[in-house]
Amino acid sequence: MLMVLLIHAVLMPILFFTLATAVERNLEDGFLDDARLYARVIADGIDKLDVESGQELVIERLDSAVLGGQSIYAALVYKNTVIASSMMEPLEIGQFQEDFEFGEHGDDTYYLSLPVGSGSRAGILHLGFDEAPTRENFATIRSTIIYALAAYMLLVLIAIGYLSSAVVRPLKWLQQASRTISSGEVDKELQTKSSLVEIQDLTADLEKMRSKLVGMNAQLQQEIADRELADTERRNLERYLRHAQRLESLGTLAGGVAHEFNNILQPLLLYTDLALEDLPEDSPAAVNLRNVLDLASRAKGLSQQILTFGRQDTDADFEELNLAPVVHEALTMIRALLLATIDLRADISGDIGDVRCDPAQIKQLIINLCNNSFRALSATDGYIHVSLKEVLVPRNKVTENPNLHEGEYVVLQVADTGVGMDPQTVERVFEPFFTTQDVGQGTGLGLSVVHGIVLRHDGEIIVESELGKGTTVRIYLPLVDEDAGENNGKRESHG
Amino acid sequence: MAKILVIDDEEHIRDVLKQVLERAGYDVVVAADGKEGLELMAQQGADLVITDVIMPGIDGIATVQKIREKFLNTRIIVISGGGNVAPMEYEPDADTTIAYLASARHAGADRTMTKPFNRQELLDAIKELMTE
Repeated sequence: MLMVLLIHAVLMPILFFTLATAVERNLEDGFLDDARLYARVIADGIDKLDVESGQELVIERLDSAVLGGQSIYAALVYKNTVIASSMMEPLEIGQFQEDFEFGEHGDDTYYLSLPVGSGSRAGILHLGFDEAPTRENFATIRSTIIYALAAYMLLVLIAIGYLSSAVVRPLKWLQQASRTISSGEVDKELQTKSSLVEIQDLTADLEKMRSKLVGMNAQLQQEIADRELADTERRNLERYLRHAQRLESLGTLAGGVAHEFNNILQPLLLYTDLALEDLPEDSPAAVNLRNVLDLASRAKGLSQQILTFGRQDTDADFEELNLAPVVHEALTMIRALLLATIDLRADISGDIGDVRCDPAQIKQLIINLCNNSFRALSATDGYIHVSLKEVLVPRNKVTENPNLHEGEYVVLQVADTGVGMDPQTVERVFEPFFTTQDVGQGTGLGLSVVHGIVLRHDGEIIVESELGKGTTVRIYLPLVDEDAGENNGKRESHG
Repeated sequence: MAKILVIDDEEHIRDVLKQVLERAGYDVVVAADGKEGLELMAQQGADLVITDVIMPGIDGIATVQKIREKFLNTRIIVISGGGNVAPMEYEPDADTTIAYLASARHAGADRTMTKPFNRQELLDAIKELMTE
């Protein structure tokens, strides 16, 4: 736009001067041609007269030249005598000046001299023509040109203004919009602000591009989110598998140890029994051997616990039942036998579905958990809270715990406000023989036995703990699916 | 007098079972593995066989199968120490001990027992099987 204005600023004066010069020359030429033609006509008229015999006639001719309107000065110089038109003031008669150009002397009069007659009768005709009308004419034309050019300039300015508002501004706006988009801000919808079809099309194209970009962006973000979710799931699964593998290999190891242990215990028990038979019942040797038998039974219990952890024991008595009475029984046992002084709170819902379980193992599990909680409480004035309820496991929970499925579970929770555990300890609580108790205080099998029981029930165990705040253990046992009969039948027929 | 064959690769178990059973009035022969047990069975026969599961060479389950092929009336008790201790060739994905004992029953064992058991449990089981 500025360029257009600059070009006009240079071109306008050139155009103006060219035009003005051409017009001026044209007018001058016309004026001079007219003057010469007129002078020739007058001179011809005078040529035919006898100047000496008829001065009156000459004056008449000169008068008619002035009166004809073309000249304002007319005089004939004949033999050093000036015969002038009677129409002139006596003062003007001597004012003749030789002119060769239009506008010379600045006296607004153009003088022309022509020879008249010949030989001894020769004279010179002087005519003066008024330059003013031509000058005025020229001025008028010049101002007309100026007006025309000014009008043109105005039009140009208006055109520029229109272009600027109709084209340049929308273009600038589009440019800004595309820069905004390229800088990554793609959320604002583009709407055309121009009535020009091209601009509208351009805006529509840009908007199409933008919305495509928004779509791609959203798609990418969705993909990233999906991938992150998948990563999280994979990490959870890996962590879970590592943990499961670790526990499984420990279970296998412990199972192998228990096997050997049982093969040693077997003759130990029977040899002692046989030896006892050979001794008087109250002999010191018999007392000692009975102690050996007691210890051997303890060792037998220990090895059975190890096998329970490793899911390798044989006697399990599964039935479908409501857990509430089982939990009540276990709590009664705990109150009566183990932890009479403890603040044991219970929140047992009887309104729950059945689970497939071995009640004896579930009791064992509750006793082990409460025993751990009791030990965690011993240094503090806390309480143990046991609850039983039915819950629906949502999908996100499944992501965190691959052993859980989306669906209904009975959740047995044992929470305490005891000393709690750090994350490293929580990570290892299910390992057999892992204990935080002093030597001789615990076997380190309690939670590994619980873990084995939960796995055997197709359940999941989740431990949450915080140092100084306490520990919460949740056991998820799958609800018996009342519609599952058919499905199970199908599955079995395939297997 | 009823005759009992004890097959176990653990010497002390063979020995103590022999003592326990002889005191209870049974006639006892012992074998250290399946091969020896089957030879004794072929030579002498027995009313009841007590065999371990996991043994070198012919293991308990193969032993039970072989005995059952020829001796339909012989009572068989299979004893196991429990635990994951051997390749799970019988029911690979199952709980090992359960799988072993189930395989043993399938092979023809009348009773399975998990070590360690006490004297009375064993004698009760034998008495039960012999009077059936």
